[in-house]
Amino acid sequence: MNVRPMRVEDVIDMQACNLQNLPENYTMKYYLYHAMTWPSLSYVAEDHKGRIVGYILAKMEEDINEGEQPHGHVTSISVLRSYRRLGLAKKLMIQSQEAMASIFHAAYVSLHVRKSNRAALSLYKDTLGFSVKGVEKKYYADGEDAYSMHLSLKS
Amino acid sequence: MSKQLPVPPKRALPSKEATLFKDLLALYETRQLKKGLKTADQILKKFPEHGETVCMRGLVLTHMGKREEGLELVKKGMRLDLTSHICWHVFGLIQKGEKNYEEALKSYTQALRFDKDNLNILRDAAQLQTQLRLFDSLVETRYALLRLRPNLRQNWIALAVAYHLNGNLTEAKKIVDHYQKFLKNLLDYDVEQSEILLYHVRILEELGDFKEALSLLDKKAKERAIVDRTAIMEARARILQRLENDEAKNAWHNLIERNPDCYAYYRGYLSCQIDHDQSAALQMLQPFLSQISNARAPWRLALDIAVGNDFEELVKPYLISSLEKGIPSLFADIKSLYKDESKRQTIASICEELITQHTEPASKSAEPTTYLWTLYLMAQHHSYLGQHEQALTTLDTALTHTPTLPELHMFKARVLKRSGDPLGAARSMNDARLLDGQDRFLNTKCGKYLLRAGMVDEAESIFGLFTKKDASSPAADLEDMQSLLFLSELADCYHRCGKLNLALKKYMAIQKVFNEYEDDQYDFHGYNLRKFTINVYLNLLRWENQLKSHPVYVRSVLKTVQISVAVHDMPSLADPASQAPRLSDEEKKAKKKAKKAAQKTQDEAKKGMLGSQTSHEDRGLDAPPPKDDDPDGYKLLKSPDILDRAAKLLDPLLTGVQDNIDVWFALYDVSIRRRKLLQAARALQNAQRLDSSHPDIHFRIVHFKSTISSLPQLPQEPVGSIISETVNLIIPDTVSPETYNSQYLQRYPSSATSILSVAKVAAQILQVPQGEVEKIAFGALDEGVLLDIQSAQDILAFLRSISSQRFDDFRNSCDAKFPLSTVFKAAEEQARYRQQVLVAGIQETPEVDGTSGSAADAEKS
Repeated sequence: MNVRPMRVEDVIDMQACNLQNLPENYTMKYYLYHAMTWPSLSYVAEDHKGRIVGYILAKMEEDINEGEQPHGHVTSISVLRSYRRLGLAKKLMIQSQEAMASIFHAAYVSLHVRKSNRAALSLYKDTLGFSVKGVEKKYYADGEDAYSMHLSLKS
Repeated sequence: MSKQLPVPPKRALPSKEATLFKDLLALYETRQLKKGLKTADQILKKFPEHGETVCMRGLVLTHMGKREEGLELVKKGMRLDLTSHICWHVFGLIQKGEKNYEEALKSYTQALRFDKDNLNILRDAAQLQTQLRLFDSLVETRYALLRLRPNLRQNWIALAVAYHLNGNLTEAKKIVDHYQKFLKNLLDYDVEQSEILLYHVRILEELGDFKEALSLLDKKAKERAIVDRTAIMEARARILQRLENDEAKNAWHNLIERNPDCYAYYRGYLSCQIDHDQSAALQMLQPFLSQISNARAPWRLALDIAVGNDFEELVKPYLISSLEKGIPSLFADIKSLYKDESKRQTIASICEELITQHTEPASKSAEPTTYLWTLYLMAQHHSYLGQHEQALTTLDTALTHTPTLPELHMFKARVLKRSGDPLGAARSMNDARLLDGQDRFLNTKCGKYLLRAGMVDEAESIFGLFTKKDASSPAADLEDMQSLLFLSELADCYHRCGKLNLALKKYMAIQKVFNEYEDDQYDFHGYNLRKFTINVYLNLLRWENQLKSHPVYVRSVLKTVQISVAVHDMPSLADPASQAPRLSDEEKKAKKKAKKAAQKTQDEAKKGMLGSQTSHEDRGLDAPPPKDDDPDGYKLLKSPDILDRAAKLLDPLLTGVQDNIDVWFALYDVSIRRRKLLQAARALQNAQRLDSSHPDIHFRIVHFKSTISSLPQLPQEPVGSIISETVNLIIPDTVSPETYNSQYLQRYPSSATSILSVAKVAAQILQVPQGEVEKIAFGALDEGVLLDIQSAQDILAFLRSISSQRFDDFRNSCDAKFPLSTVFKAAEEQARYRQQVLVAGIQETPEVDGTSGSAADAEKS
């Protein structure tokens, strides 16, 4: 599969991919907001016909306290079930991290995951090297807690 | 505020009130609505006729959610002071909130007449001009802004962008050049400046000044003024390639090292080779073929290029490594190699060899999972070649081996779907879903397959396992979340069941989503200029310009036209009683649900209003969605201007997607019924230009001829001659429509769709006796005719539409012809299958039961 920087015309397919895979969904404006603000941080994976089979939607954290280091945040990452085991999530993550570090000097990247989502937790932990930093109570609209996870970008 | 015009006496306020009015403006700017309202009231107590205050009061109320009252006041205020820029500005804001961009711009233009240098109004006007693509005026507005505030760097870039959009790249370049010259004191690592420089490079590229583009890029990259490495490297490789510079190869190589999974980089790299032959290309790829697990892209590209022995040597490790890893997408990955017959055979024989290896008792070499994935691959191989039985047998072997792999059930579902058994397909997909209830992908697939099988309610409760619990229904949540997949599948499902009213609603819901996408760009006209992300912004505008050529949108319009035409031809279709009775229960439920959803939206809107009365929170200026007073879509279906609306929807497609023959068919169907003969003729000519042998063109040609010849007289000149010439060109006067129809059949004797088309002409235009028509249609069953399931279903539907006595004969023959299918079974038998679809679900997963139960409870309440 082809891994490349996201383009504006990918947004409809990214939205579809997200809706098909994950319970956390967003209207188009939010995808566009990411693309318009941080055009180099998001990546997609596509098949031979140019269909989006995976994506990472990423941003820089905007509300950082004084003295805090800039850091990136993964809003959403997913790969269609039928395109798993190709290591696409990792490839997408690596490209995005590299852009966060080199363009914005991000010190680390953060993300949230539902406490109950064991499959995702294991992907972030075991495959992508994230570690749990804490729990955010009732992070999700339905009242579920989130793990807040971090990955350092300082090598 | 106005510099030119004296303040009219009725606007002038004594100093106390004048101060209060200034406060009011400031309070509004900071959205302190409650205080703003109080201040306005204070002024109005003494000066109830002060137009600007009345308008501001209206604006504040609108923000608080009291739209109607607010609008009333704004209009009143306008009447009181028609020469105030504030009144016009407020009115423009309200119109913009209603997405009435044209009218809003008119108001802003008025406002500027009375205060031409008002920065806020100029900025808002520029956004509207961009939204409306009025680039001449945009340049003027941006120029005015720059003249007023030349120290703001954003204003320079904004003017350059305006020139750029207006097609004047040279001016854009001049402005950016000038801007770069006076820049001083740049920060280290200035991301915004970096974006501006990348925009500068783009202008030079678009102008064709590649040398200058390259030197700017290299200079600024070296100075670290451009900080986006990937963007630098991509631009560099692209420009070097355009310059046919030897360094291009190296530039692509660097990109490959950075991201070894990007095909474009390898393609760029390969295009730098001097000898354009296969072995040279393969040799260039060789260094990248160390380990498949590192990057599959170069391997896969090599498979495209290699032939013969080279191919076999490369494909074998590729297949084996993928099968050992259990990569589910392997077949999707290699399928395009099947275009080459010998590559296909090589792949098949490698797989067969692997399967034999495993089944030989002595062999212990192959892992059981490798064997399983090989069976999976072989099943896909058979299915691709149309060998459904073999695919199913292979899958059964695999399922006996491992019954718990969802992929096997998923693919079984797909094979069943392809063999005309949507119910069995849905059942298998549900089996897959049950193996991993946490996976939304399986859930979505299952819902989709249920819709394909016509099971709307069941689909919705399955989808509901992952939609928001506080949404009025799973369907409402998916619609809010702009799920085009769900809306398309649901609309199609209703359409297939003959629920034209509900189908139309859902196709229009798709159009609504695209209208939202279009509105989404508005804020970015200002936002991106502040953020200086210009390149991506220009891409956004380009994307938005082509948005309505998106296949999902186009299809929804074509379906809307189809339904509109069908209802126009047979108005009884818009009658609830005419709808297929066997689904009336479903429809009742759908209606109830839609009503409930509408009620909920209303309640929420009310709640919102009540809430704002107490909390005074800002609800923005965007008008809430209007109340849906036609949840079941019958009003829509019965509206007398249904064809005019269809024509209006179709209009933008005529320039956007000219290569889609269905667009021209739709235009013909609408135009001929609206008596727009010239347009109908043009539609036919365009369709003919694209594919003169298309079965759907045949019917329309005869239809056009017979419509024209039945006219009492031809339209006035010159239209009359053009029409008669067109008719003559497509069917010469010497050929009767009857002969034309039978000649067409002789020309395409093995095409089932052509046969159907000829039968339709015979029945609907030539008024041929029923027996003859049936005879033509039954020809589709003859030996030598390529009858697929879809065409067979279309013919069956046609036989039903002419109330043919031989309907069941045709159905039974198809049933025998497609042994795996269920779509040709009798209605009762299909009903029995339908009951089986979710059976496994009820037994094995109580939580599904629970959820559907609670959904039912919710409905009761």
